[in-house]
Amino acid sequence: MKKPSRILIAVIILAVAVVSVLAYEQYQSSQKSVIVLATTTSTYDSGLLDYLMPKFESKYNIEVHIVSVGTGQAIAIAKNGSADIVLVHSKKYELDFVNSTYGIHRVGVMYNDFMIIGPARDPAGINGLANATEAFKKIAEAGDTGNATFVSRADKSGTNTFELGIWSKLGITPSKKTQGWYLEAGAGMGVVLTMTNEKKAYTLTDRATWIAKRSQLTNLLILVRGEKTLLNPYAVILVNPDKWPQRNYKGALTLAKFMISEEGQTLISNFKKEEETLFTPTARNFDKAHSLGFPTQKQEVGWYDAQQP
Amino acid sequence: MSFQVEARNLCKEYSGKKVLADVSFGVHSGEIFGLIGPNGAGKTTLLRILDLLEEPSSGSVLFQGVEINYSEKSRQALRRRIGMVFQKTVLFNTSVFNNVAYGLRVRGESGKIIDTKVKEALKIVQLEGFERKNALKLSGGEAQRVALAQALITEPELLLLDEPTANLDPRNVSIVEEVLSWMNRERKTTIIMATHNMFQAETLANQAALLSEGGIEKIGKIQDIFTSPSKALTKFARLENVFSGVSKVSREGTSMIDIGEGVEIEAALQKLGNVSVCVRPEDIIVSVHPIISSARNMFEGRITEISDLGSIVRLRVKAGKDFIVQITKRSFSEMRLNLDSKVFLAFKASAVQLIWSC
Amino acid sequence: MENPLFEALLRAFQFFLYFDPEVLNIILLSLKVSGTAVLIGSLIGVPIGVTLGLRRFSGKQILMRFIDLTLRGIINTFMGLPPVVVGLIVFLLLIGSGPLGPLQLLWTPTAMIITQLIMVIPIIIGVTMSAVGSVEKAIREKALSLGATDGQAAWIVLSEARMGLLTAIIVAFGAAISEVGGIIITGGNIRWHTRTLTTAIVQEVNLGEYNKAITLGVTLLLMAFAINLALTIIQLRGTKR
Repeated sequence: MKKPSRILIAVIILAVAVVSVLAYEQYQSSQKSVIVLATTTSTYDSGLLDYLMPKFESKYNIEVHIVSVGTGQAIAIAKNGSADIVLVHSKKYELDFVNSTYGIHRVGVMYNDFMIIGPARDPAGINGLANATEAFKKIAEAGDTGNATFVSRADKSGTNTFELGIWSKLGITPSKKTQGWYLEAGAGMGVVLTMTNEKKAYTLTDRATWIAKRSQLTNLLILVRGEKTLLNPYAVILVNPDKWPQRNYKGALTLAKFMISEEGQTLISNFKKEEETLFTPTARNFDKAHSLGFPTQKQEVGWYDAQQP
Repeated sequence: MSFQVEARNLCKEYSGKKVLADVSFGVHSGEIFGLIGPNGAGKTTLLRILDLLEEPSSGSVLFQGVEINYSEKSRQALRRRIGMVFQKTVLFNTSVFNNVAYGLRVRGESGKIIDTKVKEALKIVQLEGFERKNALKLSGGEAQRVALAQALITEPELLLLDEPTANLDPRNVSIVEEVLSWMNRERKTTIIMATHNMFQAETLANQAALLSEGGIEKIGKIQDIFTSPSKALTKFARLENVFSGVSKVSREGTSMIDIGEGVEIEAALQKLGNVSVCVRPEDIIVSVHPIISSARNMFEGRITEISDLGSIVRLRVKAGKDFIVQITKRSFSEMRLNLDSKVFLAFKASAVQLIWSC
Repeated sequence: MENPLFEALLRAFQFFLYFDPEVLNIILLSLKVSGTAVLIGSLIGVPIGVTLGLRRFSGKQILMRFIDLTLRGIINTFMGLPPVVVGLIVFLLLIGSGPLGPLQLLWTPTAMIITQLIMVIPIIIGVTMSAVGSVEKAIREKALSLGATDGQAAWIVLSEARMGLLTAIIVAFGAAISEVGGIIITGGNIRWHTRTLTTAIVQEVNLGEYNKAITLGVTLLLMAFAINLALTIIQLRGTKR
């Protein structure tokens, strides 16, 4: 039968064409300099990187592929040689990464802050408190008397880890069972805010998501913010080329240098959402960096400055 | 004269059941050989073995004196010299043209030759103009003719047919039969045909084998098979003008059989008691006036049914009992016969054949 | 949620009018990944499916039957293989510390194609096998009796099963284009590079950008409908002829 043969030939030609185009693309992309930046979902979802990276890419002609996953996953990817550089905000995981020798030259880049928001009525009376831990204590007390509710991310995210960190300072590991006022949403920040709004409850949120959704959150107000313990510092860590020589160490180095350079730091501070700055640069503010948990900041920045390109 | 196709002691078993038992026969080149028998006799299995679609459990098949070895290669080479038309028409889901051209395409023929030959083949089976039609949309008769065209286009030396006209209307039956005759005449194609239509077997075949329950009961000339009494024959053969009645032996040494409705027929047999006899339609003479002849049986009747089969016309005549008779178209028109015409039927005592007696 | 839906539909049309480059990139990537996976999957899966489908014709021995049933069982099991599990396996293979790490294929469209290819091949084999197996035995015998070689006869059976084959490909493509779990793991949902319609929807929902998500969802639905419609028409034409 002639017809099927023609179809078969057409299909084979098509397949060969497609495969060769793909191979060509693969080749082309291998010619380009590409770095894989592993970061957290909340970092990426803030929009900072979609704003910052294009400027880096056009200046240095390096493509940045951003993989945004959970903090644990970001570090795991880097440890397993599938990323070139990480940008995370969890000191525990960062130090673990460096101690494993897979991560090198940890340096502070910027910080953003969390805020405690709650109902306008504020039954726990935490408005304007200067101490986040104190605020949490009051929420717990109000909760125990049935006057307040707290909604938690409960999804092992950076925000969630941060929140649990504050509770642990009070010696509490809250759960719905023991604390009836503690709701474990198991969801992202946006969903949690909506829930908190509906229940007129309290929660811990990052600034970016709050800004994005505040017009819908008619029952809530910012009650506690700016306090030192609510600061969320971000670190950049390079993947050790001795461990993973086939990765793009040079590219990663270039990106790290860019982020802590005057230019990069200025760009970070210029990133606004609805007129509000979300991130404060700290790379060159050594005192601030020290206080945020980067004791060797000065040395690291010095090391980066000394590196070639 | 040696056989072109020969079967020697063929046996075929399917999971313990014996379908063919010790079947042996031979067909000469250019012959038309019939395989007659009731359903389940093994005709289909035998043909499938001859078409090399299946292997016998034991025994051998010889083609032009050479025993067939069942290796893929020799099977395939031999199959290309044989054509087969199956009982249940199977066509490919594509145009009639593509269906008929298939045999040539798998042989790597060029497009131009295929074009010509397909047109030729369709002309032979009287399906010109059907090239573009989808084969699955054809009527039963048209489809079977396409299958015939498929088989003949490759000019096989041997053509096998399994009840090719079993479910066709008379017009298609006659077209198929004409094509087969033509192939045998013009191309000297050897034909082996399974059928349970006695009439057809008689018209086309020279020799035949009567199959019953996997074994051959009789082989020989068609006439011999049909005229000698046999239980197997009755079982399947669509005999016509079958009458049962009580027979009495007459003085002249013949039998008078009362078949009911006041009709008595004289037969050249000597039987007493209950019998079943039949008279072949073509043995009955039809006339408009009563004739004086040596025929011992003569009846007057009226035509109740007419079947136009092209060159032949079959009539059902009610002469007390119903008789099926057969005359040429020419005679039919010359005698100006019609429904309800009065006719006279005559047939000899020797034309009455015994099917069964107690 | 009627207004946002209407807005989304409006925006979907706006896209078609103004050709937002990012949405275009996302659509093209979806087509590229799923299309390539199905194309290569067909070239591999169809011949295997045909061979297995025809196997019923030969071999009445017990051993052949056993092998036949085992193969069928395996294929049927693999047809139900969750794509996200495939994604996990491919991820573990392609990660830097994995056996194929040095190829650095993780986070690329190629990794996504591999993921979908593995998911799609059992489907194509399974449906092809079934389509070919349901072609009457008589067709193959007819072809043989007309002088075809085994290969030629296999080809005609394939041709008779062509509508079933087409179904196999439609089903496979439908599964691939709507898949999200596996390709998010191996592709990383990287903007401009490995973000497809499905993974983009996930991203927009996570961001709370429901309008954008609905727009993408509507686009995906329209694409899926269009392709299914086109192929359904071909199927209908195939049987009407």
